[in-house]
Amino acid sequence: MDFDFSEDQDQLRDAVRKWVEKAYTFDRRRAIVADGGFSADAYRELAELGLCGMFVPQALGGMGMGPVEGMVAMEELGRGIVLEPVSQALIAGAVLSAYAPKTLASHWAPLVASGEKIISLAYQERAGRYRLDVCATSASRHGDGWTLSGTKSLVVAGDKANAWFVSATIDGTLGLFLVERASQGAGARGYGTIDGACAAELTLAQTPAQLVSRDGLAVLEHAVDIGIAVTCAEAVGVMDQTMSFTVDYMNTRKQFGVVISSFQALKHRVADMKMQLELARSMSYYASLKLNSPAPERRAAMARAKYQLGQSMRFIGQQAVQLHGGIGMTDEYVVSHYFKRLTQMEMLFGDTLHHLGEVSGRMQDGAGVFA
Amino acid sequence: MDLAFTPEEQSFREEIRAWVATNLPPDISYKVFNALHLSRDDMQRWARILGEKGWLGHGWPKEFGGPGWNSVQKHLFEEECALAGAPRVVPFGPVMVAPVIMAFGNPQQQARFLPGIASGEVWWSQGYSEPGSGSDLASLKTRAERQGNSYIVNGQKTWTTLGQYGDWIFCLVRTSTEGKPQTGISFLLIDMSAPGVTVRPIRLLDGSVEVNEVFFDNVEVPAENLIGEENKGWTYAKHLLSHERTNIADVNRAKRELERLKRIAKAEGVYEDTRFRDEIAKLEVDVIALEMMVLRVLAAEKSGKQSLDVAGLLKIRGSEIQQRYSELMMLAAGPYALPLIHEAMEAGWQGDAVGALHCAPLALTYLNMRKTTIYGGSNEVQRNIVSQVVLG
Repeated sequence: MDFDFSEDQDQLRDAVRKWVEKAYTFDRRRAIVADGGFSADAYRELAELGLCGMFVPQALGGMGMGPVEGMVAMEELGRGIVLEPVSQALIAGAVLSAYAPKTLASHWAPLVASGEKIISLAYQERAGRYRLDVCATSASRHGDGWTLSGTKSLVVAGDKANAWFVSATIDGTLGLFLVERASQGAGARGYGTIDGACAAELTLAQTPAQLVSRDGLAVLEHAVDIGIAVTCAEAVGVMDQTMSFTVDYMNTRKQFGVVISSFQALKHRVADMKMQLELARSMSYYASLKLNSPAPERRAAMARAKYQLGQSMRFIGQQAVQLHGGIGMTDEYVVSHYFKRLTQMEMLFGDTLHHLGEVSGRMQDGAGVFA
Repeated sequence: MDLAFTPEEQSFREEIRAWVATNLPPDISYKVFNALHLSRDDMQRWARILGEKGWLGHGWPKEFGGPGWNSVQKHLFEEECALAGAPRVVPFGPVMVAPVIMAFGNPQQQARFLPGIASGEVWWSQGYSEPGSGSDLASLKTRAERQGNSYIVNGQKTWTTLGQYGDWIFCLVRTSTEGKPQTGISFLLIDMSAPGVTVRPIRLLDGSVEVNEVFFDNVEVPAENLIGEENKGWTYAKHLLSHERTNIADVNRAKRELERLKRIAKAEGVYEDTRFRDEIAKLEVDVIALEMMVLRVLAAEKSGKQSLDVAGLLKIRGSEIQQRYSELMMLAAGPYALPLIHEAMEAGWQGDAVGALHCAPLALTYLNMRKTTIYGGSNEVQRNIVSQVVLG
């Protein structure tokens, strides 16, 4: 048992932190939000740091790194509430290398790793909410190939992506497909999301697609679990930075002639925020360290982690705004943007109530980290 | 980063597990698994068994006769004991006063007091709180006046846990009223059989006698029982508080009790009720998150690379969880938790239970567990400490 980071991991953290501090200033981020919530330049810079290829094997042009490296990098991106969808590159890299047919993987994985192409996961449907097995999009066979028809919502950076992983039913079972943006009958209607980033509504009308896996549910579950683990890590970075803004503000802001951090009611709130932060950090470690476990164990662990993180994100976000008072409500000051990012992340890959249901439904005899 | 214990740690765990399985008397573990009343004899028997093996002071370094285990080994030992249904070691001797004697006592004091603590023969109590000094401990008033080679002690301690069994008591006493309150306090070891010491039990809300008042009326204490220097006692007490950081979370016991909660919920027919089951699920995540936090602290101590200042958080969270599982067990029993049958707390009781036998102690345990957020520095005091670290 060891929770220290290796020298390489520390270096990775330093490199990403430096980039966030120097290159991804709040002003730059604000400009990116105004420009639609995605910057191709910033994404290229992230790819140059190697982040888009972390989960792509070296043989396919990536870094061949593991969940802990992913966690370290995502924490640092969270600190700067970076909008560009590195998490999608991590999901895509892992899905391509672990599940896609060789030709598909060897074509796309290097492009994902280099940042030249973006593949985004498209699984959300209205009837499904957070369930992965509910899917109205259907696939049909046409000669050697497949076509898909249906609608997907909230595809992260969906109109910036070059391709999508799309879940669709094949005779009642779920398959996972790769659809290229330029394909016939594919449409992506982009829109902003509350955190300043962007997503898209995807419409497919008999759109040609390539099969990634016929065991689509298993792959989709794994993809979403990677999404959960990296979102947890990112959230820790966002919360850590949010705490830091809040503490600085409380030590500066004076009322009744003293700094507001001298009031016990507010001190105790800070202690409660610190509690949520450390519980969240602990469960983010847990998620990343369980990400390569067999599927049932992995699924249970991700549900537990996301349940904890969801609670922590909501509490810390809300309290940070509250402790800032009026300034916390403004668009001008930075903390509201962190709050909005936390709010969005609570609802990504299953919200807190959803995951409570997952934990509850999977509960067995035996409890604890090693059960 | 690695969640798994090393092969050496795993085999260490196996060794402990096998030893506990052989040596823990089943009548004692039965009581622990069912939250029944443990007598002085039960606690003392287990302490002596551990003492004979050299594991009562399982946190002690080798130079004082301990096993010299690292933080992870200590944790594994405590976990195996808890999961096997061993009683918690009464901490006042081996966990609380012994480290102070080791760090600040002189060789004579070490030779005189440590063997009796290590063997489990001498029962120690803690004399800190006073009627007027709870959270504000430094305001304590029990006086020790130097007269020749003795201190004359006058005053009162309270909330002295299991003090009715105590042979010796370590006390914070006032030896000076000069300067700040903290600078006039000394650390004194007092023989509880000395003339002038009176122990009066306090009956608690669950009917138990777990804590006591201890009165000192012109008690003559040899000056050689002073630990370290006069007026430095506060520093020594703080050392003691910082000594054991993770066991206050009691996460191993929480894991055991979570399992008991599931068993009771199943037996009472609420485990399949979504609303109730979700409450257990929440607690399960709370326990895992606490365990992860404990493991982080242990790993940090073992590697020495990073320090984690989360002792206050562990106390707050651990105590909240203890209260929550006792509360959920009571709620699982529902109305069958309400009959008050003190005898049902005793093992082997053959009377008529109302509902299932396992329901009988649940409400009393719930009532008793309200103490956990009060003792050891109330959770509000802990929040002050945590916020000081965060706010600087």
